[in-house]
Amino acid sequence: MMAGIAEKAAVKPHKKQTEFARVMKQLRKNKVAMAGLIVMAAECLLALLSPWIIPYDYTAMDMANCLKGPTAAHLFGCDDMGRDIFSRVLYGGRFSISIGIIAVSISTVFGIMIGSVAGYFGGQVDNVIMRFLDIIQAIPGMLLMIVISAVLGPGFINTVIALSVGSIPGMARMLRAQMMKERDNEYIEAAQSINCGRVRIIVNHLIPNCISPLIVQATMGVAQTITMAAGLSFIGLGVQPPTPEWGAMLSGSRQFMRQAPHLVIFPGLAIAVTVLALNLLGDGLRDALDPKLKN
Amino acid sequence: MTPVIEVQNLKKYFQTPRGLLHAVDDVTFTIEAGKTLGVVGESGCGKSTLGRTIIHLHESTAGKIFLEGQDVTKVSGKALKKAREKMQIIFQDPYSSLDPRKSIDSTIREPLAVSGRFSKPEIEDRTKQLMELVGIDERLQKAYPHELDGGRRQRVGIARALALDPKFVVCDEPVSALDVSIQAQVLNLLKKLQMDHGLTYMFVTHDMSVVRHISDDICVMYLGQVVEKCSAKELFKSPMHPYTKALLSAIPSVDIHHPTKREILKGELTSPINPQPGCRFAARCPYAGEACHQAQKQEEVSKGHFVTCCRVHEVN
Amino acid sequence: MSENKTENKNMPFLSIKDLKVEYMSDGQAVHAVNGVSLTLERGKTLGLVGETGAGKTTIAKSILRILPDIGCHIRQGEICLDGDNVLTLPEHDMRKIRGNKVSMIFQDPMTALNPVQRVGEQIAEVVQLHSDGKTDSEARAKEMLEIVGIPAERYYEYPHQFSGGMKQRVVIAIALACNPDLLLADEPTTALDVTIQAQVMDLIGELQKKYNTAMLLITHDMGVVAQVCDDVAVIYAGNIVEYGTKEQIFDHPSHPYTVGLFGAIPDMNEDEIWLHPIDGLPPDPTDLPQGCAFSPRCKYAGEECQKGPIAIYETADGHHCRCCRVDEIRKQEG
Repeated sequence: MMAGIAEKAAVKPHKKQTEFARVMKQLRKNKVAMAGLIVMAAECLLALLSPWIIPYDYTAMDMANCLKGPTAAHLFGCDDMGRDIFSRVLYGGRFSISIGIIAVSISTVFGIMIGSVAGYFGGQVDNVIMRFLDIIQAIPGMLLMIVISAVLGPGFINTVIALSVGSIPGMARMLRAQMMKERDNEYIEAAQSINCGRVRIIVNHLIPNCISPLIVQATMGVAQTITMAAGLSFIGLGVQPPTPEWGAMLSGSRQFMRQAPHLVIFPGLAIAVTVLALNLLGDGLRDALDPKLKN
Repeated sequence: MTPVIEVQNLKKYFQTPRGLLHAVDDVTFTIEAGKTLGVVGESGCGKSTLGRTIIHLHESTAGKIFLEGQDVTKVSGKALKKAREKMQIIFQDPYSSLDPRKSIDSTIREPLAVSGRFSKPEIEDRTKQLMELVGIDERLQKAYPHELDGGRRQRVGIARALALDPKFVVCDEPVSALDVSIQAQVLNLLKKLQMDHGLTYMFVTHDMSVVRHISDDICVMYLGQVVEKCSAKELFKSPMHPYTKALLSAIPSVDIHHPTKREILKGELTSPINPQPGCRFAARCPYAGEACHQAQKQEEVSKGHFVTCCRVHEVN
Repeated sequence: MSENKTENKNMPFLSIKDLKVEYMSDGQAVHAVNGVSLTLERGKTLGLVGETGAGKTTIAKSILRILPDIGCHIRQGEICLDGDNVLTLPEHDMRKIRGNKVSMIFQDPMTALNPVQRVGEQIAEVVQLHSDGKTDSEARAKEMLEIVGIPAERYYEYPHQFSGGMKQRVVIAIALACNPDLLLADEPTTALDVTIQAQVMDLIGELQKKYNTAMLLITHDMGVVAQVCDDVAVIYAGNIVEYGTKEQIFDHPSHPYTVGLFGAIPDMNEDEIWLHPIDGLPPDPTDLPQGCAFSPRCKYAGEECQKGPIAIYETADGHHCRCCRVDEIRKQEG
């Protein structure tokens, strides 16, 4: 009934509108998601520009101000070695956010490749791929990451690799499930009947129709990855000091938590705000990506 | 003249967990150029599978398919590509047969682009022509399928099927999802296209009034087999097979003063999985006897009128 | 619920007066039903005919008050069932009516049954909900299965073990388990094959006669209407455009839309190359035309058709038509 109503409503002329423009238009209607987007954009911008805007070098030590609380000169106070926490949090955003984005991008790309092959071809191909993913998924995520970083050694790139491997199976599974659902639609048969090859069907028809939940998952995955990266750094396996990654900052200052709580509050807050913003954005995207919503 | 489509003893079986599903079992027919063969039957009788097997969306299990005299049963690669350009399909469901993320014009453009025979400006021209041909307003070219009503969506599907100038089009219940007034618009369009372009149709449907209107010849299918085959006029005037009789009498007539005398069938469709030899309709047939459980032969009872029923003379 | 029943003895069993229902969709009001009035007596069948989106299902759902809570409003009107206005009844009393006094058969038997519950239990559940506790719901469910032609031993099977026609029979068994006074059948056979459709329609008709049930049959199939209905209401863009007995509608269709509808059906007895579709599309329910909603598609439309709301005229005893030019058209067409 409602569908019947909706379809008749569209008799107005249509302008060319890219998918991106359409999604943005939908997203703009969702205030909370827009807030998330703006916060994320601001954070990314600050992190990018941080070398030019931070008041102190992030490694500069000022022993006189060790563990001092927030003052006008040091907005977020100073850490145990007298480094300016404000500068470190801002600069650390570069590492934390980029770890999240790069790791998730890697797992999404691999997830799409693996999942679409498994989902489209099905049968034995699917069986082999899925059992392999099962093996990866059988290992607890944190343990897997610890093993990989322990083998590869700490460092930025290795942290990224450790974080992405664990989330590939989830992504692949999600795409595969979507793919199997979409594959039965008649438009896929229609594409076959007009001679579209397999690659074209997968890339042009199936992936665009299957990818929305992945985008949502990826957005929220960035948040999750940032917390996991923080976790890895916390146990000393992630990015190493003096790099001001947020998790590393937390872990480095845990023994001062009692006497100088600002040491953990500000990096912790940065993580929390980022995660919250990404989750809100992801939620909004879920709705905005549905093409059946009216413009 | 060689018929556009000739199908000989075509079989399509599917492997299912419960056994072999005989979706299409030993179907033979020909369709002459510019003619329409109606294929009727109830859901699950294999009529859609038959259409899809002919245009190679499914691989046939046995039998032969000839397109304009050429054997295209086992073609692949380039030959398959070429054959497919001549054989197209219009789908039943205008909702799921269009890619929801493609605008109308890019859906119509796709077959042209894939064929690789046209230059960019040619593709643009042809897309415009096709939209005009099926009666879609140009201002809708950037619209998405969900923004259109069912009738317009079906027109887009027709335009896509006609893009490469096919000879043969399988119409798989193209109007059954549409309202009566829109259904008539689409049927008229299909008829006009057939006249203007000399198209040959195989029209699959369960709607007897539609099939009577559009077809020259009709095949009645029951559980994968053709039970009766003759011209449309003949079928409605003197149906021979007990199933055809029951089918025709079950159609609710719009004529309130002369209600049709109905033969209500008992029971439900039996399963097409691992069927017993013999007439598959026998379980529901009011005339069934011993002989019906033997393998059945097709018989030409009058010129061009084929019936697969061993008791056809006793019944009539 | 029953105290004022005696006063309303001469009232029809079901009467709907000037019902208006609106949906809110994307900030726009969708005028789904626009002032529908109809009546239905016990034991009779009223056919509600119209196209997708004409508001047929909304009317049926309004009677049961099962419209979606969010964004859907019954703007005005009253629905009197056996003397009670169901639109003002408290929810508690409505629950007694649903499934008991009034029940509904939905279009799609594939989704109307719970796939993880045994079919027998689904019938028994309805009986249990509306019984005084003394009835043996299982026995009643088995009895219902037999009535709709399914062996009682299939009580313990699941919906996926049934074919489409069997499932629709189970749905009918559920709908009729409490001997309802009113049956709302929303396209009960659209998803079924013709031979099965014939069986199911016969079954509904038989049970209806046996229990003197009134039925509101929603359909778009004129053939089904011709076979089972006593009265017919043709609905277009949320409004009744023609209303009368089956004979009046089929023998003397008066509204141009009804005429067009009959014309668009391929004739089973005549050969014609071209069908006669109704041009254009149904109107956008968020933006209905002024005056007659059908006027943009009507070949007889004149200036007066677009001026304002068109009244419904009685052209013959009980035959109503919402067309201001009905007399002229009749003369024109002879």
